[in-house]
Amino acid sequence: MNISRDSFRMIRAVARKDIKELTKEKSFILAVIIQLFIASFSAFLIIGLASFYDPSMLGDVKIEGTSIALIATEEDELYMILQDSNIHTHLYMDYASAYTDFYDHKVDAIVVAPAGKAEGIELLNVDIYLPASEIKATIISLQLKEPLERYEQSVRDIRTQRLDGYSPVELNIVNSKSGTSSTYFEFIYVALIPLLMFTPAFISGGLIIDLITEEYESKTMDLLLASPASMMEIISGKILLATLIVPLQSFAWMLLLSMNRIHIHNTLHILFIVTLIALILVLISTLIATLFRERGVAQLLYSLILIFLFMLSYLFTNSPMNLVTRLSIESIGVLESALWTGTYMLFALLLYMLMTITVKNDPNKL
Amino acid sequence: MPGWLTIAKWELLRSRLKFNILSVIMITLALMLVIMATYMAAQTGMSMNQKIYFVASSDPGLQPIVKFDQRFDYILIDNPTRGHNHEYPADMFIEDNNVYLRDTGKAGAAGDALESTFNTYREMVLTSYNDVNNTHPVWITVHNLQRPQNFQLAGSEQTVENLIREMDDRSSEEHNARERTGAETGAEGFVRPGSTSVSPEDISAMDSIGGKTFFERQRISTPSHFSAPLPFTAILYAFLFIFPIYFISQFYSTSLMDERSNRKGELVLAAPLRGIDIVVGKTVPYILITMIILIAITLYIVGIPSTYPDLTRIFLILASIFPVVLLFFALSFYSAIMSRSFKELTFASVFLSVLLSGYLFLPAMFANIHAISSISPITLIVRLIEGETVLTGTYLFSALPFYLVAISVYAFGTFIFREEDLFTQKNISEKITDSFELFLSKPYGSVFILSIIFIPFVYMAQLMLIVMLFNLPLEYSIILMILLSAMVEELVKSVGIYTLFKRKLAELRLKNVFKYSVLSGTGFFVGEKAITLLTLAPIAGSAFGSVMTMGSLLLLPLLLHIVSVLICSLVMYKKGTSYYLVAVVLATLVHSSYNIVILRGLVF
Repeated sequence: MNISRDSFRMIRAVARKDIKELTKEKSFILAVIIQLFIASFSAFLIIGLASFYDPSMLGDVKIEGTSIALIATEEDELYMILQDSNIHTHLYMDYASAYTDFYDHKVDAIVVAPAGKAEGIELLNVDIYLPASEIKATIISLQLKEPLERYEQSVRDIRTQRLDGYSPVELNIVNSKSGTSSTYFEFIYVALIPLLMFTPAFISGGLIIDLITEEYESKTMDLLLASPASMMEIISGKILLATLIVPLQSFAWMLLLSMNRIHIHNTLHILFIVTLIALILVLISTLIATLFRERGVAQLLYSLILIFLFMLSYLFTNSPMNLVTRLSIESIGVLESALWTGTYMLFALLLYMLMTITVKNDPNKL
Repeated sequence: MPGWLTIAKWELLRSRLKFNILSVIMITLALMLVIMATYMAAQTGMSMNQKIYFVASSDPGLQPIVKFDQRFDYILIDNPTRGHNHEYPADMFIEDNNVYLRDTGKAGAAGDALESTFNTYREMVLTSYNDVNNTHPVWITVHNLQRPQNFQLAGSEQTVENLIREMDDRSSEEHNARERTGAETGAEGFVRPGSTSVSPEDISAMDSIGGKTFFERQRISTPSHFSAPLPFTAILYAFLFIFPIYFISQFYSTSLMDERSNRKGELVLAAPLRGIDIVVGKTVPYILITMIILIAITLYIVGIPSTYPDLTRIFLILASIFPVVLLFFALSFYSAIMSRSFKELTFASVFLSVLLSGYLFLPAMFANIHAISSISPITLIVRLIEGETVLTGTYLFSALPFYLVAISVYAFGTFIFREEDLFTQKNISEKITDSFELFLSKPYGSVFILSIIFIPFVYMAQLMLIVMLFNLPLEYSIILMILLSAMVEELVKSVGIYTLFKRKLAELRLKNVFKYSVLSGTGFFVGEKAITLLTLAPIAGSAFGSVMTMGSLLLLPLLLHIVSVLICSLVMYKKGTSYYLVAVVLATLVHSSYNIVILRGLVF
């Protein structure tokens, strides 16, 4: 009883020593800055990319400035569809006059309507001329997609009747909300949130390698071992520190995201999972570091294993990333999430046992 | 045998010894696992979006369609009210092909996703008919047209006459085409007026087009497959090229740090070798290994060259990546010398890598969209792989800053490659000041030259700022850009003077204050104009470009550079060098208010 309390005190002492070193050297602060940097990039991605995906996101940004030239006649179906859409369409009779206006920046793209009719049998080819290396090319392509799809649909409505036994499945969304895009939603909840939540865990895995190999390489491990702390206690102290700083950082991310009005459900459960995964990664790194002791080798091996685990989590439902996504949007039942959390706990426990055995039977013990 | 060659040989032998058999086996094993897992993951949709939406439906017929998309979890129920009795509520209920969405943001997204899934399913069913005229009747051909624009690319200036002639050619060609098809209509009906491409005649041709879009830009597609020119492949290339550089620079900096932490390096320093020999010797093996790996990657992407143009293309790709390698290594080198522990080294190298990757990645994502993207050498690589040509001006524009910054970082690092900086616990700002001090105390060293040397740094920092501020609304980003770039300029102009006074290389007298301010300001001005002439032409016409070059005014900027650095030096003269940062802020304010006045037309 007494012994275990003593050893816990040792562990705490080592953790405290490391935490002091971390804050003193300002490197922990640098880690936070790195993450802030990643965040500013993701802000770029959110605003920039999401709006590319979905021009409706741009909303009030001035894209009404773009207009296109359509070479067609007034009866053309494409003309009527484009008139219905919110693109400024100007009708031209021939390519030459359209090109003159394009060159003078009066229009930003030229669309040549097909001559054929929907009732015909030939393919209908729409030619689109976009301004090379201009951002407007992207915006116009995005704006044109929807009207063109409608045009395709209207042609198909006539032509697919000629197909044998084809009956289209029509879905009618009764209360559809305009302006909600799955791309944006999934970018936030499937890509951004898991990435931000787990980045501290990835960094911690690398951190513990430095903490351990440094003691070996600067020969301070001997000094530490000469103190009343045992090898196991020294390592545990480091593991404790590297794991516990992770939920703190993730929590800070959650606060930042909620300030941006991104709502996250089940925050406590997510933080618990993040801590668990951090523990798993830290334990793996500890194993590697005690076995190899050489910083470069250990870091390389850790990065490879990290990539492996990352790739692995694409393969099954409820991988840590997926679990966090599903929890954050309340798309998972209590039983299922508890089951998977339990699985990861079991995995962490196994790794902990493996680590204990390795450290205790260290072949190249000092 | 030259000294550096000996060091290089040692380095190679030593790094081989570091890997024992166990670690080699483990690393190979891990590498195999990574390749296997990546291959398996590539077979899936490469997204961790499994079961994020929950669909309740009373129609069992919809199940195969919904299950076709891994995003949906599906449950069959016969009554909408029972859907809510489930553990967590369904996002939508489908009955008789009517979809009822719940009133949440997630349900809205789920509805959108369901629509696209049904579209994909419809495309799949239609494709199975193998009757392209009836299933995919509409095809889109995308052409790119040049026209004069705000961002003029170096070397691509077309004269107006040329363009008009081209236009005439086009319209007459167009005219002929229309007449031709007018005569031919009804015969086959595949040719369209103005169409320059051939429509695919069967499904297999369409498949081959679909496969091509991954590495080539999409030119022809059906409306459902039509997508904006967002070259995400560029990011893939960046990853392929940057990862090996990143890994090897890790080994490089670890090896340097190793020498320092164990004081092993003292032996090398005691040898009759110059510092530069040791630095070159320790660097060359790593650069060679990196370049060999990059050559292999290039050959993998482009294929074995068979013709002369292919060979030049590969050479150009390597020429574009080489400055990046050099800069990555230079930064690793400098941070290995600066850091006091492995922890600091890890953080410093990760931080600098993230910064540099940002500079490389973000512009490359817009490789096909915007001229400014050519500040990143990765963009050049993307263009070369896509079979475009890269002009010398464009190459200089993106590669020259990399070369110059890398070389000067190496130079400053080599200055402090000596015992008192390598093996003592000096703090980082002291070491940085050391490297300037050593430069300034050389016979050729002066604040004039120092300011010129800093120009590429300023240039890269300002380009980085453009990248970072690009997503803000123009009116804010211009102001921020003015403030921050003035700050960067003031910092580099005054740092030499700060070092002179701090390290007592020059007496803190009023005469010296004026003398060095004039020297530093003039040096900066000369360097700025030189680099403008060399490389800035591609973006000179844009709003951002004018912030950096300030148009054609000549005398005023010279005066400004001198005055603002003078303000900085005077504050140090009055208050002492510990007030350096305050002095820089003050000078920044003066500098940016001048810029705002000059650019008021842009800002307001």
